[in-house]
Amino acid sequence: MLEGHISKAFDGALATLHMRVVEMGGLVLDQVREATHAYTNWNAESATRVIERESQVNDYEARLDEEQMTLIARRQPVATDLKIILAVSRSVAELERAGDEAKKIARTVLGHGGRPGPGTSRDARHLGRLAVDLLRLSLEAFDRLDADLATEVIARDQELDEEYAAGLRRLLTRAMEDPRHMEATVEAAFVLKALERIGDHARNLARHVMSINGDTHPLQQATAIPGGTSVGD
Amino acid sequence: MNDVTKESVAERPRVNVTAAEGGAGRHIGEGGLNLKPSGRVPAAASLEERTEGRTVGQTAVENAVFSCKDVSVYYGTKHALRNVTLDVGREQVLAMIGPSGCGKSTFLRCLNRMNDTIPGTRVTGSITLDGRDIHDKQLDVVQLRARIGMVFQKPNPFPKSIYENVAYGPRIHGRCRSRADLDDVVCTSLQRAGLWDEVKDRLNKPGTGLSGGQQQRLCIARTIAVQPEVILMDEPCSALDPVATARIEDLIDELRASYAIVIVTHSMQQAARVSQRTAYFHMGQLVEVGDTDRVFTNPRHRLTEDYITGRFG
Repeated sequence: MLEGHISKAFDGALATLHMRVVEMGGLVLDQVREATHAYTNWNAESATRVIERESQVNDYEARLDEEQMTLIARRQPVATDLKIILAVSRSVAELERAGDEAKKIARTVLGHGGRPGPGTSRDARHLGRLAVDLLRLSLEAFDRLDADLATEVIARDQELDEEYAAGLRRLLTRAMEDPRHMEATVEAAFVLKALERIGDHARNLARHVMSINGDTHPLQQATAIPGGTSVGD
Repeated sequence: MNDVTKESVAERPRVNVTAAEGGAGRHIGEGGLNLKPSGRVPAAASLEERTEGRTVGQTAVENAVFSCKDVSVYYGTKHALRNVTLDVGREQVLAMIGPSGCGKSTFLRCLNRMNDTIPGTRVTGSITLDGRDIHDKQLDVVQLRARIGMVFQKPNPFPKSIYENVAYGPRIHGRCRSRADLDDVVCTSLQRAGLWDEVKDRLNKPGTGLSGGQQQRLCIARTIAVQPEVILMDEPCSALDPVATARIEDLIDELRASYAIVIVTHSMQQAARVSQRTAYFHMGQLVEVGDTDRVFTNPRHRLTEDYITGRFG
């Protein structure tokens, strides 16, 4: 992250924190991609892998929490240093939630619901690709503290939201035409929603990146960005 | 941030995110993405670069007790303080921070004309206390200093009893008519300085026999005994342990209800804890001044940011 601190140990601690978040992000990205693959190809082996790896995501979160607490207690950071640590803390929470969504998708494959039809698989694959792209770009923005890229992620989340709404409409239309597989339809709706939520977490992560250089809280940025919605939605 | 080349999404190379565990070196994301933590990031861009002679932030306050305009100090040929314009507000603590030799103590000493005592010193610009120029030839400097108390880095009680240390000021300034009045002032001052309970049974013992923290509180009691309008403090806690420091900081917070307090400190945490306004000095210039809450969260000047985060000093 920022360099040039008189205390090299502090620079080192910030860099380690930063590296761990990107590592955690890589793991979550992997989880989302594999969960989407598991659902669209109805692959139980992949789904099991996702669920097993979920504990690694949680371990990252626990370790990062502890490291941040230690850093705050020992260094009493202010100004940009403090904002970076707060942004890291919020970003870690977003990644952990994105990981949870991936786990939910994987559980669907191991549950009692049926395999999605080709149309639903296509929609899920498309949404999954968009969600992975957004998450990857938001991690890149985090890695470089790139506000321009973060702005782009926030704008592109809108596209994912629209694709989600369209996919859901198609799903409901198919369900009305053939109501025999209602359980699979409901589960498919949850999967599409989970992918849309992953996009939201990527967008929130981008907002946390922007909060480092701005005076505003990420929640306040929602009103400043055309077409933006609040973090909680 | 600005030196990061912006690429369009289409042109941006796909990157690999490498997970530390369970995925080292694997390609994640379609097309193979290689996102390795860069470990370094361009500095925040929202900060103002240094502008010669210009102070960032609000230098003026409403109903100021001190109003300083274009104050410069020369020690012989050395230009130690350059055109500082700054108000000191009532009932608040102004903290002055900055690296050694930045001019913060020099500025503090201008406020009660302590620089007058240093040969070869020249002070220019205007400093008014309650609207009156403190360099006015009609003004009695002894009376001026009675209105502006000062607490120094090292506690410096007189080699007299605790009682006499506090009674000295009111007596020479003729503030008390009778012994009862004087007793009252000594008692009140020691109470306000949070020392009364510890010394009430040994008022005739020497002040130098107290602990460092107690001595510093005795000096504060001595200062407030003459009912000043402003209290200047030059690193008042740097010779004290953390417990004594906490007591003095608590006392500063209580005293600000009645006095304007200007404190020079090398501890940024102390400035953040005790003050309502913070002024950052650098190489004889006042670089930035503003509400403490703002300065320590969103400093506007690059030099302030660098100093408070420990990036130079």
